[in-house]
Amino acid sequence: MEAHTVSRVTRTLLAAAVALLSAASLNAPSFAQGQAQATPPTMVDLAGSWTMSNEEELLIRIDPGPELGNFTGFPINAAGRQKALSWNSTIQAIPEHQARPHPAQYSMRGPGPNFHMGEIIDPVSRRLIGYTITGLFENANRTIWLDGRPHPSEFAEHLWNGFSTGVWENGMLKVTTTHMKQAFLQRNGIPSSPYAVMTEYFIRHGNLLMMMSQVDDPIYLEEPMVRTQTWRWNPNQREQPIGQVEIAEELPDLKPGDVPHYPLGTRHPEYADANGLPFEATLGGRDTLYPEYVDRLREMMRATDKKGSR
Amino acid sequence: MPLVVVCIAVSVTIVDRAVSAQQTPPATPRTPRSSAPVDLTGNWVSVVTEEWLWRMTTPRKGDYTSIPLSDEGRRVADLWDPSTDGSCKAYGAGGLMRIPTRLRIAWRGDDTLNVETDAGQQTRTLRFDRAPATGARSLQGHSLAEWEAIGGPPVLRNGRAIGAAPPQGGALKVVTTNLTEGWLRKNGVAYSESASLLEYWDRVAFPNGDVWLIVTSVLSDPRYLVNDYTTSMHFKREADGSKWRPTPCRA
Repeated sequence: MEAHTVSRVTRTLLAAAVALLSAASLNAPSFAQGQAQATPPTMVDLAGSWTMSNEEELLIRIDPGPELGNFTGFPINAAGRQKALSWNSTIQAIPEHQARPHPAQYSMRGPGPNFHMGEIIDPVSRRLIGYTITGLFENANRTIWLDGRPHPSEFAEHLWNGFSTGVWENGMLKVTTTHMKQAFLQRNGIPSSPYAVMTEYFIRHGNLLMMMSQVDDPIYLEEPMVRTQTWRWNPNQREQPIGQVEIAEELPDLKPGDVPHYPLGTRHPEYADANGLPFEATLGGRDTLYPEYVDRLREMMRATDKKGSR
Repeated sequence: MPLVVVCIAVSVTIVDRAVSAQQTPPATPRTPRSSAPVDLTGNWVSVVTEEWLWRMTTPRKGDYTSIPLSDEGRRVADLWDPSTDGSCKAYGAGGLMRIPTRLRIAWRGDDTLNVETDAGQQTRTLRFDRAPATGARSLQGHSLAEWEAIGGPPVLRNGRAIGAAPPQGGALKVVTTNLTEGWLRKNGVAYSESASLLEYWDRVAFPNGDVWLIVTSVLSDPRYLVNDYTTSMHFKREADGSKWRPTPCRA
């Protein structure tokens, strides 16, 4: 009988202790913060239709596009410069290149793009597990996975849109893209290798969406290439139909196996001449991107008898 | 029994700590500086990867490519005298952040951020005190600053407000008014005294260790522009100010 009583007292006291512990865990935020408590990241709603609202480089991002030999603003290395100087726009007329989509390294840059960002919702948990970006040039639409899946093997296929995963970081969506095709950073032949990795931040401020991208390419760049773009939320925007492209023979005189290109050693001084710039200044490279280059450029322009003010 | 005693003792201790924590006297009021969700201070440098031709050189007279000028804005731009190249008008708040420059950002007191440029030797004063503009117009105008959660204010979808998540992170929002006329480019493409400038300042870090400041800018000018002029500029963080090289503009 006494043993039974002790047992009952023990159970009661243990229950009280458990209750106290529960209460403590609910009421002790400062204590809980000291533990490894997983705080769900803040997700900012990026879904919707977005219209490009950035006025920068309008004539470069839309047609007619960048000029041949205009590599200004790009930290390309010697290999990138050599490849860009040998690029001939006629290559876009060969059947294999017609109807090519824009690669992920470029597709957020132009033309537009005016895109729709859609949610991928897990059918069971109803959690947001990804975003789609549709409306990109020639349907090179993107998927950004948010569910923590790994990137594929380095031997996996490379695609126009690459493979993208995203994580939330202080309210910003940070996207990492690998497995992009060998393609371009600019539509005048500035190249991007399949070894490039792109990191993007999508940052929403009310009805403005800002995106900064950094392409890190060990083959063609001296330092990572960064760009920023801005869109405005536009619920009335509707996606344009995908361009219908019929592959046609446009170069009947091209011999089998020929690839349109400029031979090694070719210079394209037309852009420099048209804009009163020293040819060297149009070749890009890391040093040309920083403020100290303004003075060097001025000196070169004086030395070549071109006006300091164009 | 000893186990029970230990459990109770631990529980009482935890509850006591929790209650004590909640009864801690309120902290001193948080200032804009102490409540900053992101650190924008330090040394930064423009990296001109966009609009290189129009930013690294003085564009030709009449080159207003990409700027949504009104007829009046075009008329004023066409009046530019090339001999005024280097004028401080190109270093007003409306165009300053597009100039290739280094920035030095530092707190002045607890509620003002100073943004200095070595190019043109300008100082922007970003005030958190909400004080209205008084006094004469100026090249840098009157800038009111506030911290804003990323994503906020609440956005609408299908006409309905979306429930806002608890704010995390943040950006600096700056609205600048009371400007004198200045230039968007060194070739005299101008904004008028009626212009106002909205900016968001963000900081991000990339896997290679580079830290960037991004300034998204929306310039509204009912006189010289037909639309808002939206641009975004990026500045890379530098370890120190060793490359700081003050260069004055021409008054």
